Amino acid sequence: MLNAEDTGLLWLAFVVIGLATMLPRSSFIVAGHRVSLPGRVKQALRYAPAAALAALILPDVLLQGGQLAPLNPKFVAAGVVVAVALRWRNPWLPFITGMAVLLGLRFWLG
Amino acid sequence: MSPSFKRGMRDGVRRYLPFSVGLIPWSLVTGITMRSAGLSPFEAVGMNIIVFGATAQIGTLPLIVAGAPLWLMVLTALALNLRFLIFSAALAPAFDGVRQRYRWLSGYLMTDGVFAACVDGMNQNKDDPDWRLGYYLGPSFLSWGVWQACSLIGVLAAGVVPKSWSIEFMGTTALIVLLVPMVRQLPMLCAALVGGLAACLLQGLPLRLGLISAIVLGIGTGFVAEHLLQQRKHHAQR
Repeated sequence: MLNAEDTGLLWLAFVVIGLATMLPRSSFIVAGHRVSLPGRVKQALRYAPAAALAALILPDVLLQGGQLAPLNPKFVAAGVVVAVALRWRNPWLPFITGMAVLLGLRFWLG
Repeated sequence: MSPSFKRGMRDGVRRYLPFSVGLIPWSLVTGITMRSAGLSPFEAVGMNIIVFGATAQIGTLPLIVAGAPLWLMVLTALALNLRFLIFSAALAPAFDGVRQRYRWLSGYLMTDGVFAACVDGMNQNKDDPDWRLGYYLGPSFLSWGVWQACSLIGVLAAGVVPKSWSIEFMGTTALIVLLVPMVRQLPMLCAALVGGLAACLLQGLPLRLGLISAIVLGIGTGFVAEHLLQQRKHHAQR
């Protein structure tokens, strides 16, 4: 949890994350469309968001105390979220079913 | 405000309105996730205004909580935001004849939803920069307002939910919902699987270097998989 001494650093973090969000968004709009990326770089960069999302999600749902634990409630709930997102377009459903499965399993397992 | 800017705003908002509903669960969840990571309501609102990007916010919160170095937050946020380079390139021709300061404002306000709804219309009206800017900024202001209002509701609501409910799982759910439609193509799926598993296996590395290594490995895998698939297709055709 964050404590008071870290507050300055926290706001600095917001600013650098903000810049790392604003610069890609502004890039070509500001530079004009005469500038462009080489095709191979563009091709490779397409994979960055999927790789980054998975690299954030999988450790969160697959590890418990640094160990692989594929049968933990979070991983099962994540599996249900994937299935729901594949099957239905409703934007609320994944959040509702994911939380319901996670809390249900935790309650049931004690 | 010129009349054609106003007309552009009206046309853009009308086009974007049905899409704006999709923002509501997202902004609620972002508000909740920031609070469950330990930010105060004031800090959460500050982050929301400074960053204004759900994926970058939800994705970097675990790093902030873990006290990770700033450069790692920057690289992670950049990787999550690279799709905007492509959006920005697609929108660039539509900003011909628009003043520089409005271009920066447009960059700050860019969202997936407004891009998806408005890119075609914006590139059609070639000879009226005012209309094009209005067509982009109208829905962008709308989405900024809806976003800030609904995430404030999330921020306030998170304060009354007991900790044992582990609502931070909503942040993970949001990232999964983003990932699922991306991995419908095989090379994307390979990139995600390798990136995700590598992040699990390498999480012991110091300075959370495992995360960045995993992202780079995932990008490389996707790139190679795409080329291998193309080669196979060539062979099959012969």
